[in-house]
Amino acid sequence: MTELSISTTAAGHVPQAPLPEAAPKVTARNLNFYYGEHHALKNINLTLGTNRVTAFIGPSGCGKSTLLRIFNRMYDLYPGQRAVGQLMLDQTNILDPKLDLNLLRARVGMVFQKPTPFPMTIYENIAFGIRLYEKISKSEMDGRVEKALRGGALWNEVKDKLNASGLSLSGGQQQRLCIARTVAVRPEVILFDEPCSALDPISTAKVEELIQELSEDYTIAIVTHNMQQAARVSDKTAFMYLGELIEFDDTNKIFTSPSDRRTQDYITGRFG
Amino acid sequence: MAVQGDVMEAAGPYDRAKALSAFKLGDATFYWITRVSAISVLLILGGIILSLIIGAWPAMREYGFSFLFTQRWAPSADPPVLGALGPIYGTLITSVIAMLIAIPVGIGIAVFLTELCPQWLRRPIGIAVELLAGIPSIIYGMWGFFVLGPFLANTFQPFMIRIFDGVPVLGAIFAGPPSYLSLFNASLILAIMVLPFITAISVDVFKTVPPVLKEAAYGMGCTTWEVVRSVVIPYTRVGVIGGIMLALGRALGETMAVTFIIGNSFRISSSIFAPGTTISAAIASEFAESDGLHQSGLILLGLLLFVLTFFVLAAARLMLMRLEMKAGK
Repeated sequence: MTELSISTTAAGHVPQAPLPEAAPKVTARNLNFYYGEHHALKNINLTLGTNRVTAFIGPSGCGKSTLLRIFNRMYDLYPGQRAVGQLMLDQTNILDPKLDLNLLRARVGMVFQKPTPFPMTIYENIAFGIRLYEKISKSEMDGRVEKALRGGALWNEVKDKLNASGLSLSGGQQQRLCIARTVAVRPEVILFDEPCSALDPISTAKVEELIQELSEDYTIAIVTHNMQQAARVSDKTAFMYLGELIEFDDTNKIFTSPSDRRTQDYITGRFG
Repeated sequence: MAVQGDVMEAAGPYDRAKALSAFKLGDATFYWITRVSAISVLLILGGIILSLIIGAWPAMREYGFSFLFTQRWAPSADPPVLGALGPIYGTLITSVIAMLIAIPVGIGIAVFLTELCPQWLRRPIGIAVELLAGIPSIIYGMWGFFVLGPFLANTFQPFMIRIFDGVPVLGAIFAGPPSYLSLFNASLILAIMVLPFITAISVDVFKTVPPVLKEAAYGMGCTTWEVVRSVVIPYTRVGVIGGIMLALGRALGETMAVTFIIGNSFRISSSIFAPGTTISAAIASEFAESDGLHQSGLILLGLLLFVLTFFVLAAARLMLMRLEMKAGK
């Protein structure tokens, strides 16, 4: 179980008592988002704490994924989408139009709903991202690839077939490959956009375990439709509804004694 | 049967078995129509090959393999001397140069159209590319003859000679007296003619790349170039190579435009600005006045073009298989 080495201290990490406030990593102030004319996010204020897992829950279309896609400026690929307000990653203004997006995305990695292995070998899937930023020797690269695959809890399953296509893996393995690939670039923040919605329960459990381990080293934001998942993996939970941030608090508090009526209705399954 | 009877009663006077048998007849007819269509392709192909071989037989018997390695083409000598080296050389050289130009430009246009182009410019460029494919080849020939030829001979070639004068290999490639009709002129025209094939097919297959896959690559911090090179093109390589092969097939066999501007010289010159000929151009320009062994030699040229195209397609298959091995299977 060497691949769990980074996590031995994190095993069984279930937030019980209120967590001490973490240093802010990402801070949103009066953040608004527009799809053309449509006002999709309204005055979002929140802080992602360093090395904390923040879950975003809410009914479909409430803007969770939209919010996530602002953190790495993914919306920039599409004309007509724009964000207004303030969004800081440490001292960097994420919304600065002159910001180097490639550099931002190296700092803020993303894992998608569907596994997205690149059309190349397993080894290359990992090495590809590293090569974007670093010139390193073959032996060093071998080491980095192994480390990343261990970080993605995938090494033992693929170490004998590194030259097989990334597409030959199962869905759960592909998703962990994508996580390993994201980790390999050494980002500071990792965004998970419903990472388990296409996976079976066993793969889901593996990915959830992985997310907890990763929170030792990374700041994590995860969008999920699965409230048990939010309760299991996150330190903080944000409930969003119709483009607004309704409630943002410790996960324990949200799921035991939410202060907003709508939050309570949603987590008890009365709508959503 | 009782149950079936009930159902039939419920369905009224409608005879289900009879209706079904009509369907069966239709099915069988359909099956045979498609089958005959498919088989007819084989028959036609076989027939063409067979008639080519029969027509080429006298020349094959007369010249044997030396036909492939002889440069001299003297049909009016007694006995006629026929060698295919010039046309084979010209066909390969013009196609290679044409593809060297058309592949990067064609894929470049496709990348621009799908990844970079502002929405309002997409349609005009797309339509222009499609129109390029619709221009009859004789028009390309005339344009090459009256416009491109003089430009190449008067401006471009002297410029290249000045730059590469004295450079060992390149000097010889660009040397020689200026000529409106040349291998390079034909290559350029071919490149323009096959460009739409490469672009249109590349655009179509680039559009099949799932947006989330591209987002994942952008999300790693890739630039557009890196996304295209490492994700879009590998993901679509089968389609892109298919488009390139279609283009290459056209370049190898294109006749009218090339006959117009290549100069129809069977002599092999080291310079790409010298006149030359291709297999199809040689056939087109001589077939009408040929007879006997001469005609048989031209048919043998046609057979060679057939074989050449076949080998090119086979090589493309092989390349595709090796690419797939490299990407992991």
